[in-house]
Amino acid sequence: MSLSRLFNPRSIAVIGASRNPDKIGHVILRNLVEYGYKGKIYPVNPSANEILGLKAYKSVLEIDDEVDVAIIAIPADKVLEAAEECGRKGVKFLVVITSGFSEAGNEEGEKKLVEVARKYGMRVLGPNIFGYAYTPSRINATFGTKDIAVGGISFLTQSGALGIALMGWTLMEELGMAALVSLGNMSDLDATEISDYLADDENTKVITIYLEGLKPGTGKAFIEKMRRVVARKPVIVIKAGKSTRGSMAAASHTGSLAGSSRIYEAAFKQAGVLEASTVEEMFDWARAFSLLEIPRGDKTVILTNGGGVGVLATDAAEKYNIPLIDPSNELKNKLRKVMPWYGSVRNPIDLTGGALVDNYVKALEILEESDEVDNIILLYCRTAVLDPIELAKTLAEFKKKLSKPIVAGFVGGADVREAIRILNKNGIPTYPSPERAVSSLAAMLEYRRIRSRLGGVA
Amino acid sequence: MSSSDIVKSALSEGRTKLLEHEALKLMELYGIKVADYGFAVTPAEAGLISEKIGYPVVVKVVSPDISHKTDVGGVILGLKSRDEVVQGCEKIVKNVSERQPGARVTGFLVQKMMPQGLEVIIGATRDQVFGPVVMFGLGGIFVEVLRDVTFRVAPVSLQDALEMLGEIKASKILDGYRSLPPVDKKAIASMIVSLSKLMEENPYISSVDLNPVIAYSSGAVVVDARVIIGKSGVVNR
Repeated sequence: MSLSRLFNPRSIAVIGASRNPDKIGHVILRNLVEYGYKGKIYPVNPSANEILGLKAYKSVLEIDDEVDVAIIAIPADKVLEAAEECGRKGVKFLVVITSGFSEAGNEEGEKKLVEVARKYGMRVLGPNIFGYAYTPSRINATFGTKDIAVGGISFLTQSGALGIALMGWTLMEELGMAALVSLGNMSDLDATEISDYLADDENTKVITIYLEGLKPGTGKAFIEKMRRVVARKPVIVIKAGKSTRGSMAAASHTGSLAGSSRIYEAAFKQAGVLEASTVEEMFDWARAFSLLEIPRGDKTVILTNGGGVGVLATDAAEKYNIPLIDPSNELKNKLRKVMPWYGSVRNPIDLTGGALVDNYVKALEILEESDEVDNIILLYCRTAVLDPIELAKTLAEFKKKLSKPIVAGFVGGADVREAIRILNKNGIPTYPSPERAVSSLAAMLEYRRIRSRLGGVA
Repeated sequence: MSSSDIVKSALSEGRTKLLEHEALKLMELYGIKVADYGFAVTPAEAGLISEKIGYPVVVKVVSPDISHKTDVGGVILGLKSRDEVVQGCEKIVKNVSERQPGARVTGFLVQKMMPQGLEVIIGATRDQVFGPVVMFGLGGIFVEVLRDVTFRVAPVSLQDALEMLGEIKASKILDGYRSLPPVDKKAIASMIVSLSKLMEENPYISSVDLNPVIAYSSGAVVVDARVIIGKSGVVNR
């Protein structure tokens, strides 16, 4: 069954919807209502007539309409019965928030839940999750933040607490999200199947995954399936639990060297999945993927108003194997005309601390025209002569004419922070340091190489 | 004898490790080139085998009870004649009886001494999530101190294996370093591919160390093979 109805349901029942604002069942219902889900919402609660202005039902069986998705937020010992009722009702997807299954040693209960779902042809997300969201359908069926910024990043997480925390963080960082899925125990739907669906989702531009571990024996299928996902969409993963565990394999040299993290690294490489080393890095890269098209080539220039940030970016470019071009004399001559006489037309192209908005714009026009350049790294240091917000607003306007991928690093204080916000809102991935901008472009170039290598797979 | 016969008979004897000559035989079955060798039950037989192999040879004790052969005086290098080989075997029996009394001596492995080349390690293990994985690195300090090795989940293609060679930090050494000529990368890569196949086809093999493999400008040869077996196979939990 396609997961389309999970992400585009016509109706959602919330089993365990509560009038008590402290209860998870209440928060999920409130988030669904307040985030503006346009389909039908059916609260299910045996002892309430109305919750948040919506008519409540004693059982899912009482609902006089088709139910695509049932969110289940009731105690573990009542879940099987509710699942059974959902099956009889013809519900398509069970989203089981409830904890107390395999993660707590209750493998039996989880197995039975999946059996019930199979019997009725339902699919299960969870159990032990904080819910899921899909912004294009205005679904926020989580007990995380009420608001979610809209954009092209889909995020799957095996950790609930971290996932909820990151919901708030992505909002603050203005990272636009498409799908947000808590994976929990992955009793049925897992990271690969959801990624496979999202690879064809027109609203998802990049898939990010917080992964703790895969189930025994599923590693090979993960590699094969993810390879097919990566041929369509970039996937960035952060793998937790990388500390080595050496001793158990002391019988052989190879065994003692093969900590699980080394093998996961190899597997990600084989799958074409990009592995980030921190959450910040994962979302830095995701921001670039969500705002830009995949680069057409790897020839890159750095455009800056500060020597220092230019050198830092150059160092980072070397570290990440980004080829910085040597501009031709023709290109140099053109650039020379749009900067102060003491500027530099080599790469990094240094407009100097005296640069004004106009210098940036004219240089960008030349770089956009030039066949020598595929990608632009634009850097700005706060100077007395150039207001970052003015520059950001102009660049935001200029972006509409720009076909080449551009990433930016803006360094400075509070007004620079505001400039970064403006640029991110207007499709230029911008970071508070040159290195983070370079690293994000490097991830895109790496994906470009991976995709061309996987070309024949999809 | 097929690969599964070798493994099954060892398992039926309650062993967790193949004997030296069994391990080498297993590699040969997968087209992995090993240094010329023979297995002898008696010193006299070892002498005969050494004549066929040609000198110099090394003699190693074969015993299900000894895991560190060198520590018990179970390895003698650089033997140059039949007499030396016979005497060497007798010396080994004496050494073992003194240093590890009670250890069974199944026989002797007589092996051609290989000329110097670049020592590399090729290994495989079985992970509970990913199944068989293969490893490549340079021998000695590179693997033991720097842990400069790289992994792939099996099955690997020749292309994958060649990528592994380029991935270790010290990969430039493979292209020639000081007096060492560039080594035959394709020979090493083919060995990795064969080992990947061996692991996929033999679920009772839990790990393999080919250490060292000596690589030359043309070809590569396994000198020592350690094969750990077990019913469950899985090593990494």
